[in-house]
Amino acid sequence: MALTTVDHSALKVNQAGIVTTVLVAFAGSYFFRPLLFLIPLLAVVLLLGTFAPQLALFKQLYFQVLKPRGIVKPRPVQDRPEPHNFAQGLGGVFLAVSSVLLILGFSISTVFTAAGLALALLVAVLAFVNLAFGYCLGCQIYYQLGKRGLIRA
Amino acid sequence: MSVQLWALAAAGTVVLAAAGLEAFRSTRARRIAVGATSAPAADPYILYFTGENCTVCRTHQEPALAKLGQVRVDKVDAIAERELANRFQVYTLPTTVVMSAEGRALHVNYGYAPAKKLDRQLAEARSSSTLERTATA
Repeated sequence: MALTTVDHSALKVNQAGIVTTVLVAFAGSYFFRPLLFLIPLLAVVLLLGTFAPQLALFKQLYFQVLKPRGIVKPRPVQDRPEPHNFAQGLGGVFLAVSSVLLILGFSISTVFTAAGLALALLVAVLAFVNLAFGYCLGCQIYYQLGKRGLIRA
Repeated sequence: MSVQLWALAAAGTVVLAAAGLEAFRSTRARRIAVGATSAPAADPYILYFTGENCTVCRTHQEPALAKLGQVRVDKVDAIAERELANRFQVYTLPTTVVMSAEGRALHVNYGYAPAKKLDRQLAEARSSSTLERTATA
């Protein structure tokens, strides 16, 4: 499969958006519980962005606002977008599971709330590791699936 | 304890467990891979396992390899050359293997390896190759 140009600044803004949203939901919910609603919202944003890139909120923020105003400089790299999309989708799926747990937490037990928050925190940690160190776990999983012939890598 | 603290404790435990598992996995893979063989060459060289999907390979590993200067680097597509990748226990990309001139794996680096580290490993490979040649002669 041919390489295309991927703007890595867009990916970084996306990762920063994920980390910030989860942290706001996590810390904010201590004082104002409805802020937990940000988690399912983020899950929707990530899943929508995976299947329709024009709906990827944080990437659009970069392309429509941050890049044109010179706030964030572009960083084009010869790359393939598929592993990054896969990683984003995986993050979205985990946040969707986290959202289900949070909903169960409201109606059944706070144990589910803690589990849901922990899962969301793990997504934020992985997004931070990718943002800071360039290590993308989702991309590694994509490689492993490709190696086993489960996806066309 | 609040829900947030429980969540933090649970996430922290998972992160620590994952880091421990990763350390165990790479140590185990390295132990199996070191000593594996490939083609001999005139001088120590590097087997560089990469793939089209590997971003870190392009953004970090290739610039680091370029800094090494006159060293033979054999680029291997880990998906296409599955047998070779399995021989060196490649479970992550990039993976760099420092090979002795005799074609034996001396150092295996899973994940990004900086130029300094590779330089040091190559120096060790050169001295071990010289020792082996002297012993054979």
